[in-house]
Amino acid sequence: MMMQLVSHATSRRIGAFVVALLLSFVPAAVRAQANLSAQGFGFPTGQFSTRTWGTGGALAELDPLSPVNSASLALIPTRLVTFQIEPEFRSVTTASGTDHTTTARYPNVFGAIPVGRGWVLSLGASTLLDRTATSVFNTTQFLTATDSVPMTTQFRVDGAMDDVRLGAGWAPASWLRVGVGAHAITGHNLISITQSFADSAQFATFTQQRVLGFSGGAVSAGIQLVSKVVTAGFSARRGGNLDLSSEDTLLTSAKVPNRFGASVAFTGIANSAIAVRTSHDDWSSLGSLGTPGLHAVDAWDTSVGADLAGPRIGDHILFLRGGFRTRTLPFQAGDHTVTEQSFTGGLGSAFAAGHVLGDFALIHSSRTASGLSASEHAWTVSLGISVRP
Amino acid sequence: MLKKVALLLTGIAVVFSIAACSEKLEAGKSCPLLCPEQAITLVDTTIDAAVSDTTIAGLPPIGAEGYLMLASHGDTVETRAIIRYDTLPQSYTKSGVDSTIANIDSAYLITPIVKPDSLKRPKAPVTIEAYDVDTTATDTVAAILAPLFRPDRLIGSKTFAPESLLDTLRIPVSTDSVLDRVKNGTKLRVGLRIVSTQGVDLRVGSTTLGLGVTLHITASKDTGAAPVNVAPVSNTPTDQPFLSGPLSDYTIVLNGTTRTPAILLGVGGVPSRRSFIRFNVPSRIVDSTTIVRASLLLTQSPNRRLDPHDSLYVYPLAVLAGPAITDISSLLQFVGTPGQFNLDSLRLAPADSGVVSFEIVGLVRTWRGQSSTVSPRSVALRSAVEGQSPGEIDFFSTKAPTAVRPRLRITYVPQTSFGLP
Repeated sequence: MMMQLVSHATSRRIGAFVVALLLSFVPAAVRAQANLSAQGFGFPTGQFSTRTWGTGGALAELDPLSPVNSASLALIPTRLVTFQIEPEFRSVTTASGTDHTTTARYPNVFGAIPVGRGWVLSLGASTLLDRTATSVFNTTQFLTATDSVPMTTQFRVDGAMDDVRLGAGWAPASWLRVGVGAHAITGHNLISITQSFADSAQFATFTQQRVLGFSGGAVSAGIQLVSKVVTAGFSARRGGNLDLSSEDTLLTSAKVPNRFGASVAFTGIANSAIAVRTSHDDWSSLGSLGTPGLHAVDAWDTSVGADLAGPRIGDHILFLRGGFRTRTLPFQAGDHTVTEQSFTGGLGSAFAAGHVLGDFALIHSSRTASGLSASEHAWTVSLGISVRP
Repeated sequence: MLKKVALLLTGIAVVFSIAACSEKLEAGKSCPLLCPEQAITLVDTTIDAAVSDTTIAGLPPIGAEGYLMLASHGDTVETRAIIRYDTLPQSYTKSGVDSTIANIDSAYLITPIVKPDSLKRPKAPVTIEAYDVDTTATDTVAAILAPLFRPDRLIGSKTFAPESLLDTLRIPVSTDSVLDRVKNGTKLRVGLRIVSTQGVDLRVGSTTLGLGVTLHITASKDTGAAPVNVAPVSNTPTDQPFLSGPLSDYTIVLNGTTRTPAILLGVGGVPSRRSFIRFNVPSRIVDSTTIVRASLLLTQSPNRRLDPHDSLYVYPLAVLAGPAITDISSLLQFVGTPGQFNLDSLRLAPADSGVVSFEIVGLVRTWRGQSSTVSPRSVALRSAVEGQSPGEIDFFSTKAPTAVRPRLRITYVPQTSFGLP
């Protein structure tokens, strides 16, 4: 299952080059459009690594590159830096037509370092809720009974609620791994609204911006139990206070959602895992963070998938992955709960004498809201690069 | 080999990540069904924001006209153009050698004009007469200058067919009169009068825009002799070039001067005038909202006195003077240029009536967060052809009945806590 990280002195420069290049893309702006998935405070990307994505999310509690279960950090034998890019190509269909959009995401970056005696420390950031969206629509407002003005509104949100985790994993025995994590919930939403008017002689464009900042905390813990043919992982996150502020004004407060989840994997096939996972997020605790019209719902996230050893490339195994995932998204569209089903596939292998791990996943998601005549389909490409400098 | 593969994959990853940054943004077909936020509602209000207003005649000041107004409408309006040649050369160049002017073969006033548009082209031939208006008295006063337009002072004239009024007129003037001034080193001051069987207006170039009437002197028939071109120059008042410069040429009104009653705001007319309006806009609007439209609503009062259907542009202008200047006449001379702050003009005819709307949102937005001393909350109104054309546009002022007073219609976006889902 977990790809072996081989320690070598060579290729150090390659690793540094890759890290520098990939990290240079972290600040890039991301945007999106009106859709089913980015309601409320945004879309939960899942905090999955590309490898976990390939299995539909089933390996999330067991995969050290997914910042979910800190116990899995104990699997990392050497220093490691990982980075992930995930563009999503989305179609949103309503009775008014179909919008085709492209959204770029950089949902996961972290580094880990073994500190001896089975301990591994990690610091990373992942996207908890991605709210990036841009809506452009035309309306006509009647100012008086005889005076109206056609106008175009662009409502744009850039930013996300992020989870910065300082984690530690420990393997006290070959059959047991445990871990803890301290989470800072940070990030911001840069919101800008622009209203422009067809009659530019009379009307001047209106533009206003606002930054909403998040600050909160949480703690998490996890455990993994390993046998010859089965590996099980459990983790939970306990949310603390979460504040939403604009400049120096506190606007609203809520609780970081609690979460718990479990993965069970059959590892009886060499270098392979067939897993099932479920988790539950108390997203409803975010309800008080927005306006009274915001409807957040608790959600189950269940997946099944496999990470199988395939053919070899040189000395390295090419892993073949596939999976299925079904979940409820945290924020309703109006009063309609949004659900998502995803089919996933992926590949992964090691390169550069094991100094570089490359993973690729392709995800097709269908999102619907019962009772709402709208549907959303998305192809997401996930590319993960991990480097052992 | 694996290194090469790794580098290749890394390169692909880099290219892929760059490609992933290219996003498609424009979408909105799912709105309003799925859009979490809707358009922000605009609020429209019309307020009696004009707290004071007035009209000041005599602006632009004498000598500052862009063009000189030469008008003849009998008892209604009579104007004259005065051109000063206070310095005349006493020599000319012949075959590269300077020679003293002893004779003058010909002398003309090269007179640039604005070609009358088809609606305003004279219906009958017009004669332009040139008079010697030199006097020791104060020659910027109509009462002193008017008697000088008499036959014994006529030094030249020419009659033009209406279709010949194109861009430049050549008016011959008395060579004896010019030679006398040249030989004696004295000044030549010319007054132009337009005469026709029907009312007529002509816009003559002035030095304000670098288009002054030139005195063209040919001192010799010899083909080697260069003609002498004399530009208007004023040496009086002496030692005050700030005042004497503009007086190189100017317009005087002999009759037809009108006053604007208090219930009206006048723009243009004879003498030309500008109007000033001061506003008091509630801070809750100007400072706490975002204004997207500000319309100055004025009710036009028909003025059928002269050229009632000859439309002209009226500009709203920003008043740029600071609080140290309190005199309205002075304030109206420290105004912005047309189009500044995106202020748009209106084309109006004097005989029109009804409510007109000047869009001044670009100016009103500058008031946000500023005290009225830093950013005066006032507007000036002026004609595009002030001092050049007798047409006058009148609006009802704050002293008029309530229903027709100036108003300010403001459309704004209220302060809103947007962004929370």
